[in-house]
Amino acid sequence: MTDVLASRSFRGPAADEAIESVHNDLDSLWLDVPFVGDMDQMTFTTAVIESASNIVQHAEPVGQDPVELGVDIEVQPALLQARVSAYNAQPPFGPMIPGSPDEESESGRGLALIEALVTTVTFQRQDATNTWVLTRTSQHG
Amino acid sequence: MEFSYEVKDSYAEVKADGRLNMVSAPKLREFVTDVIAGGSNRIVVNLEDTAFMDSSGLGALIGCLKAARQAGGDLRIAAVQPQVKMVLQLTSMDKVLTSYGSAEEAFSND
Repeated sequence: MTDVLASRSFRGPAADEAIESVHNDLDSLWLDVPFVGDMDQMTFTTAVIESASNIVQHAEPVGQDPVELGVDIEVQPALLQARVSAYNAQPPFGPMIPGSPDEESESGRGLALIEALVTTVTFQRQDATNTWVLTRTSQHG
Repeated sequence: MEFSYEVKDSYAEVKADGRLNMVSAPKLREFVTDVIAGGSNRIVVNLEDTAFMDSSGLGALIGCLKAARQAGGDLRIAAVQPQVKMVLQLTSMDKVLTSYGSAEEAFSND
């Protein structure tokens, strides 16, 4: 059985307010697990916010109901994991390959940044829900 | 996130306090555009109190840099905190957005 040391869950409309809520959740989560190093906290927070922002900015709904954002974060011994989901969403548009924009581009760096920040990124789609699972092997534990 | 600015002798200092994310990034761009329109084309964005920046925030800074250069000036950043420094390095944008220890240093050699 997985040993979960601390966790946070968010679910709500995929809107600007959700990003601030998830960020506040992360800040409070780290207070519960002070043994997680600053670098792990910083990188994982950035990856989760990038992923959640990607959903708020780009996810398109299936049908009439709006897209909802779900973020479930767990701290396990030596592992940080987040499931970042777009509920009631169409499949992501495009190949989901990290871009390499030129230095004047103002967008297109998010996916590459996420991949640089975490150990694994996997994508699942089931029942109109897109889920990105981010893990980072942590130095603690 | 809150923005403020102060016109100094040779540049305008913009302060951005809080999280520079997808919510605040468009506001930073608008704020700096207004400062440039007000006659300042040498901009220092003081990031001393910017605890967090994502790729949207980075995109806004690049947009502001281009706007300053189009107005015949430049944009530099100062007092970068660890998370912002990490994002700049991982995206290799630390070579484009020149960072200085303090706002005073940013244009001191020009």
